[in-house]
Amino acid sequence: MMIFVLAFGMLILFLTFGIWFAAVLDGVFSRRLSGQSAVGLLAPFHAAAVYLTQQRLRTEAPDQLNWFLSIAGYLSVAAIGLAVVPFGPDLAVIGLDTSVVFWGACESLIVVLIFLHGWSPNAPLSLIGAYRYVAIGLPIMLPSMFVLIAAAIPAQSLDLREIVASQETMWNVIRQPLGLPLFLLLGLSLTLRGPFDYADSEDLAGGTSAEDSGANRAGWQVARLAMLVGFSAVASTAFLGGYLGPVLPGFVWLVLKTLVVMATVIWLSHLLARMPVARMLGLIWKILLPISFLDLLWAGLVALA
Amino acid sequence: MGMNWIAKLAAKAPVPIFIARGNDAPDETDKLHLNPNLSIVDTPRAASILLVAGTIPHALTAHLHRLHDQLPHPRATIFWHSSPTDQLSSALGVTHGDDLGSFLLQTRAALLTGERASEADVLPDEPANVWRGVGPHGQGGKGMMGGTPYGRPMAMTDDDMRDGLKLDAYTADFGPFLTMLPSGMILKITLQGDLFQKVAVVSPPYEDARQGREIRTLLKLLGLPALANRLLIENAHCEAGFKRLVTLSGVRRAIPPDLGRTHDGSDVRSRFEHMLNDPSNPQNLHLMGLGLGDLLEGREWQEAMLILNSFDNTSLRKICANTPTDATDDMGDSSEQASGGHEGMDHSSHGGH
Repeated sequence: MMIFVLAFGMLILFLTFGIWFAAVLDGVFSRRLSGQSAVGLLAPFHAAAVYLTQQRLRTEAPDQLNWFLSIAGYLSVAAIGLAVVPFGPDLAVIGLDTSVVFWGACESLIVVLIFLHGWSPNAPLSLIGAYRYVAIGLPIMLPSMFVLIAAAIPAQSLDLREIVASQETMWNVIRQPLGLPLFLLLGLSLTLRGPFDYADSEDLAGGTSAEDSGANRAGWQVARLAMLVGFSAVASTAFLGGYLGPVLPGFVWLVLKTLVVMATVIWLSHLLARMPVARMLGLIWKILLPISFLDLLWAGLVALA
Repeated sequence: MGMNWIAKLAAKAPVPIFIARGNDAPDETDKLHLNPNLSIVDTPRAASILLVAGTIPHALTAHLHRLHDQLPHPRATIFWHSSPTDQLSSALGVTHGDDLGSFLLQTRAALLTGERASEADVLPDEPANVWRGVGPHGQGGKGMMGGTPYGRPMAMTDDDMRDGLKLDAYTADFGPFLTMLPSGMILKITLQGDLFQKVAVVSPPYEDARQGREIRTLLKLLGLPALANRLLIENAHCEAGFKRLVTLSGVRRAIPPDLGRTHDGSDVRSRFEHMLNDPSNPQNLHLMGLGLGDLLEGREWQEAMLILNSFDNTSLRKICANTPTDATDDMGDSSEQASGGHEGMDHSSHGGH
């Protein structure tokens, strides 16, 4: 019980700090690229306060329940991502023998939640964003499943705790070099960022969040950042050895690795251009999916050798 | 009146403004993106202040009022280089001499303290399509198909140009203040999913709608808003660092080949390249009767937006002139026409709140 309370406290702390840090990094990268001066460390709080002073508008005949559920669900799934990650040996909020499967189920739930978010306002641009996301969200999930299974092979277990333990001698990022890059692309898609932001992009005036105002808008943006934290923690656990590391406590290592993954995803999101959906579908099915097969094949051969 | 702690925090944030461009929007409008005290947002739902830059033509004032009513409270409207419309008489005006940036900050502070009352709706808050209690189920539908269930025109079956599934043709007006469309332009679009099936011009873009904003809009549409803003800095397009970032982003490869090809062989890629390297020199395109339908029909949303923004304003107005206007368009019965007028997207629909 004590262990659970400790782990839960760490999770809340990690999530809160991570959201703030992601928002600051996002501002820094975006302003640097646009050639402007950096923003203050408190800027995310100010921006959130603006939304909270604004009225929450209702569109005509919205699906109120699902509008709320999509935001709350997205935030919850982000927290679950963090909860399956071990903060140390036998220190995970959700210690599950099949945590990789559990996380995979969460990934597919995200497609549903983002669709609901675009569906609920009863408005055209939001809905276009919603089904366009489904078109991309489903195929990008396939490579993600293959690289996660590949990461599970050396551990001979679908438990993230075992997967971390199996990386004592060598991290998966070295053992399976194709895994992490492919998984980072999934991260861009799960967090609606840059080249994979087909739901909330500028060409739809914000897409699924075009009709969000006030607290709803704040909630959705926070949930997106929370998802970035959750995803980065899973990525650093599956590929960068999670809490493993010398001298410093394991939890500190996990946080540091998570921040590195997070910064990489944010940097990629500002750096890479977004192509039209049809072109991206071709890229995923014809190139990324075969590469993920290769990754799985490679992991299998290494395990047999 | 004092502020609570949330309002005090909010007062330190950049002012979120939505810009509605008139046909003579001042040149400095784009430079507002560089002002650290302002945040230019893409949807009125996120804005505190509606900035009307330049004169809105009389034909579009109804659209401006609908846009106004979509800002969340507390809200204010500022007319810049133009005078308030009769219905928005309580709005503020700013003329050439004043410093717009600090004026916006002051107005926002006054809104947060309650010194300045939030502006009321201009238009009556009523459904654009009457639907409550209509039809056999009382939700506005007409049985299996047709009608306006829950206020939106029913997506109907129609011939499909891509996969043969005859589904979901949905007609609505988009514009004139959408940030991804040239200012002043209203299109009546029939969409199947995000695929353009039919397009008609309701209102062409202003004569000086863009002032060289096409390349920045293209970069934004391609997911590179930071690079788009960087182009606002003097001579940024010649900088080695900027060129390296453009190459690194893979933006050239992101644009599909042969997109929006004209008779003389230019396509979105080549026009993008030209605008990037030689922004002050418009290209001479041979359009030869090319209409919007030829360019956009069968394209998905993002591609269509890229095509629209890859033409300079003169060419785009010529293309619009070659396109059937809404009045001559024969699609739809009267009920569809009526719904198309208001519906559309957030900027042209008065989503009751």
